[in-house]
Amino acid sequence: MSRFLIRRVFGALVILLIISAITFGLFYAIPRDPAMMSCGKNCTPDMLAQIRHNLGIDHPIPVQYWDWLKGVFVGRDYGSFGNCNAPCLGYSFANREPVLGTILDRLPTTLSLAFGAAIVFLIFGVGAGMLAAVKQGKFLDKFASSASLFGSSLQIYFVGYIAMFFFVAKLGLFAQPSYTPLSEDPVSWFSGLLLPWLTLAIIFTANYTRMTRSQLVEQLSEDYVRTARAKGLSRANVFFRFAWRGAMGPIVTVFGIDLGTLIGGAIITESTFSIQGIGRLAVDSVNKSDLPMLLGVTVLSAGAIVFFNIIVDAVYALIDPRIRLA
Amino acid sequence: MTSTDQQPFLSVRDLKVHFSTEDGVVKAVDGLSFDLAKGKTLGIVGESGSGKSVTNLTILGLHDRDRTSIDGEILLDGKELLTASERELEQLRGNKMSMIFQDALASLSPYHTIGKQIGETYRKHTGASKKEARERAIEMLRRVGIPQPDVRVDDYPHQFSGGMRQRAMIAMALVCDPELLIADEPTTALDVTVQAQIMDLLKDLQQEFGTAIIFITHDLGVIADIADDVLVMYGGRCVERGTKKEVLRAPQHPYTWGLLGSMPSLEGPVDVPLSPIPGSPPSLLNPPSGCRFHPRCTFAEKVQGGLCSTEQPLLDITDGRGSACHLTDDQRREFFADYAATRSH
Amino acid sequence: MSFSRRNFLIATGVVAASSSVLTACGGSGSDSKSKSKVPSVSGSKTQEIPVGTKADSVGPAPEVKGAVKGGTIYSLDQFDMDHLDPAQIYVSTEGAITVPILRGLTGYKIDEKGGATLVGDAATDAGTMKDGGKTWTFTLKDGVKWEDGSDVSSDDLRHTFERLFASFITEGPRYVQQWLEGGDKYKGPYDGKKLDSIEVDGKTITFHLNEARTDFNFTLAMRGYSLVNKKHDTKEKYDKKPFSCGPYKIGARSIGKSLTYVRNEHWDPKTDAIRNNYPDKYVFQFGFELLASTDRYIADKGNDQYAMSIFNEVAPERIAQVLTNAKLKQRVLTEVDTVTYYWPINMTRIKDVKVRQAINWAWPHQQLQTIRGGASTSELATTILSPVTPGYQKFDLYGVTKKPGGDAAKAKALLKEAGKVGQKLVIAYQSSDNSVKSAVAIKNALEAAGFKVVNKQVDKSTFYTQIGKVDNDFDLFAAGWSPDWPNGYSVFFPCWSGKNIGDGRSNYAQLNDPSVNKAIDAAAKITDVEAANKAWGEVDRQIMELAAVVPDYHSIRNWMHGSKVGNVTYDSGNTCVALCKLYAMK
Repeated sequence: MSRFLIRRVFGALVILLIISAITFGLFYAIPRDPAMMSCGKNCTPDMLAQIRHNLGIDHPIPVQYWDWLKGVFVGRDYGSFGNCNAPCLGYSFANREPVLGTILDRLPTTLSLAFGAAIVFLIFGVGAGMLAAVKQGKFLDKFASSASLFGSSLQIYFVGYIAMFFFVAKLGLFAQPSYTPLSEDPVSWFSGLLLPWLTLAIIFTANYTRMTRSQLVEQLSEDYVRTARAKGLSRANVFFRFAWRGAMGPIVTVFGIDLGTLIGGAIITESTFSIQGIGRLAVDSVNKSDLPMLLGVTVLSAGAIVFFNIIVDAVYALIDPRIRLA
Repeated sequence: MTSTDQQPFLSVRDLKVHFSTEDGVVKAVDGLSFDLAKGKTLGIVGESGSGKSVTNLTILGLHDRDRTSIDGEILLDGKELLTASERELEQLRGNKMSMIFQDALASLSPYHTIGKQIGETYRKHTGASKKEARERAIEMLRRVGIPQPDVRVDDYPHQFSGGMRQRAMIAMALVCDPELLIADEPTTALDVTVQAQIMDLLKDLQQEFGTAIIFITHDLGVIADIADDVLVMYGGRCVERGTKKEVLRAPQHPYTWGLLGSMPSLEGPVDVPLSPIPGSPPSLLNPPSGCRFHPRCTFAEKVQGGLCSTEQPLLDITDGRGSACHLTDDQRREFFADYAATRSH
Repeated sequence: MSFSRRNFLIATGVVAASSSVLTACGGSGSDSKSKSKVPSVSGSKTQEIPVGTKADSVGPAPEVKGAVKGGTIYSLDQFDMDHLDPAQIYVSTEGAITVPILRGLTGYKIDEKGGATLVGDAATDAGTMKDGGKTWTFTLKDGVKWEDGSDVSSDDLRHTFERLFASFITEGPRYVQQWLEGGDKYKGPYDGKKLDSIEVDGKTITFHLNEARTDFNFTLAMRGYSLVNKKHDTKEKYDKKPFSCGPYKIGARSIGKSLTYVRNEHWDPKTDAIRNNYPDKYVFQFGFELLASTDRYIADKGNDQYAMSIFNEVAPERIAQVLTNAKLKQRVLTEVDTVTYYWPINMTRIKDVKVRQAINWAWPHQQLQTIRGGASTSELATTILSPVTPGYQKFDLYGVTKKPGGDAAKAKALLKEAGKVGQKLVIAYQSSDNSVKSAVAIKNALEAAGFKVVNKQVDKSTFYTQIGKVDNDFDLFAAGWSPDWPNGYSVFFPCWSGKNIGDGRSNYAQLNDPSVNKAIDAAAKITDVEAANKAWGEVDRQIMELAAVVPDYHSIRNWMHGSKVGNVTYDSGNTCVALCKLYAMK
């Protein structure tokens, strides 16, 4: 198991390296001069050269990338802008701050949003999928299936505004969506995120309902499930310990990818509810052409997805001994 | 056990199992009756789709109740199984009656150790502790001939060889000393040596515990080895019944002749070509009129008035021996003699 | 270029991208509805800003009637400020948000009715000029202190203006740098050199200019010339956290997310005629889309009752709902902006005045307004000056009022007269949802008048660079201008004087008409405000007669706020809500 993990972590680092290199190349290949963008209205050739130097873009791209990569491990000195300690993901000249600090500032928000929503859509999605699988072909199944179809066709910016209009403005059932750190005030943290959780979860729930149902239906017709029943085990026991165990694998896989993606920033949700997480940071960085920040966010998002892939693999191995021992 | 004097241990009466599908009603079993006494083995023979597996799943109550309509009765030791509640059936399954499935790899859970899978049956029905269940599992593994059972008990099914898996399956089925054991082609996927070992094992166990066994197979060789009585199924119905000797030595139904012909014989010359039964098994959704075997039967035109394609032959049983065929006794004797002659050169 | 970020964003379609929703769904019905119920802002009063006396400059600022101390004022805005270092501040929102923490030598004093007067801020008055405006002297008030309790010194004054020349100052206004004698060779104070044209003596500072600037004191009221503490000057990093001498100082800042002001205990109200300090705290919150902030204002719940916006206006999707609901409308501050959006015509390429006039006649003003979301957010323009800019004269040379959809027949006739039927026009516009739609409407209207139109989409990051080149391939392009201080000079000199033709300069139309040049120079020298205004109005007419530009529209701003924000008034100097006049109701 530990050898397996070491191998995967090593592979992940290679992937991150490749992603950062590609992102780096892409950003500096686009016809938008970052120096020009921050040079301002009264740009002179001297100033432009100075800014290019400060930004470190007066070197060829591979050298710039090497500088960036070095910064991640040993930190970097940005002259008059100041020092960026390792791990230095770059320096945002738009914010006048090291990139990592801003990302770490936003990360708790996005983590709260992602994990909270994940808990909601897991409970509702998997729950509904289980019900549908048990009541195959009956009303409940058909209801859950069509509800999930409906849910998956909804858009957050639509549902979000409608929900805010009715539940916050009209009925006052929910608090105004906002983020308060959990450590500061757990009650505000919860009430402020509840509506975003539910809204974000609606879209995901549908997917999990469908997946859980189809996985369970498939597993329930497996021979070993029949064997378990032939042994005299109760329906519930067979359902959870046998069929569900088998159905979990693909669900865990998709869940890992979803969670990784969410931590990369739920851009639309964060915008809709005016929550300042990683997604908003990405959008703002695009608007400001803040390439160092965008690179940092991209590496973080990729890192989150890669990280959860490793977790998924590990969990998969726990679920299925055939993979563990192979 | 007093009841065994008046009535057999297992009695199936006029069993009909019909599934409703989108295309129509599938008559998987269409009026099947048989009895089985304790300590005896009934071999059920037939091609796939003949209804033999469905019959046995129905005995255990593992059919899909929502989509199946069932008629008839199944009495196990005097208890009506078809009307029994799910709870009652759960008490019986794995305990008084248990089943060995064909594909042990698919039929064992890949997620649990062998020991756990054997032990949980035991715990369920005896209320034993985890430790006791584990001891019992090791004992059962030893009994079915798994080497180093105290080590292998913690293995997962995929770590076992095919034969060992099948033994583990048997250990699991027998862990509660069942009185009825249904073995659904338990040896089909195994090589001949292992097959023989497993057959011996089953026979030993039967001797020891007096278990009644229903042995499902399409292999008459296996039947010859283990069965006391034989029931030949075709298209959801019984076409011939009798003792092993009667059915194998003097089969009455052309389908049984066909089965015998499609079986390689070690005794005969090796250069005699096998003659598989031409055609394919009947559709159960839309079975042929008259005798269900008549489209494949080479003797159908020998029957007067084309009766085979219009009228279902009755199963004529006397003292547990009989068949369902329009041929007269004389015709049968004559045709079988001809047939046997081509087989033995 | 005085193009505030807000203007810039609107022009590039970032903000107004969704206004098309209203058009598409509401159609003409909602349009006419909003027209009938929304009082027109046409004929808005011109925002004349007189120069105040020494007495006007004496603190404390007049109390706001009914105002109470305490509480917190919040904001709901889309973007954080890019800059807080005064020398880097050029856009109106950055200027407005820093009023509570930064002080300049001069500033705008807002009265109860929203009128403004130019007064001395840190200086005792609005300054004295000599040599017809070539020499200006200001005297520092007593008791003006920094947030650490130290006095604002003459060293700080000198440093404030000298550091404008440093190489890291890239964004702010450049007027003073250009006007100060010797400024062309000066590189800033960080290598120990002084600029001799700035003289400091005790509490006075004297500027020696290379040309007569009678409005120099207005120039200094720009936030870009606010005072900087020499000891705490952190150069590049100053942009993140400037040192305060106003009634508030920065308490906490999370860039892109929030900015908090807390009281500066060392500020003395007696030294400040401009700022009140009612709330205990300001909490600016960023990351709200227009729709989100509007909906929260409509809901008016919790802290949002104490919220206002510096940047965020009422979302186009909600404008009809908000302006037609009397209760909601009470909480909207509506102002015509000083900006005019227009389409300069490349005079180098289109030399025939009749052709340019034909473009004006054919212009589909109304269609473009509909694309933007209707009459509640913009007013059709017929002049270069905005109705609120001093000097504005109302005239309509090309029948916009009569035929707001354009007069194709008239345009065609003019083209025929000029013998230019089938004239090719290359139009440059920025890539955005609305601008694409606008370009199509323009193409249709002009082609109906007999032009042959080629639309060219230009990336928005290089748009102004491309149209700012003297040798460009475009005949007509989208632009806009908002004056840096309220008079005609700051509109006409940078954009319409022949002196300002050149790569990267702002005379995009490349208008170099001797009589216009002469009129601009003459008007700039008139010291009498009224006479000067009249002269600027004439310049406007003169340029419009030459049809060097198609004026498109003047923006109407609609800011909403919570129900418990008291005294929401407009600061015409900073073209935003006057932060230092607000209070939190009990």
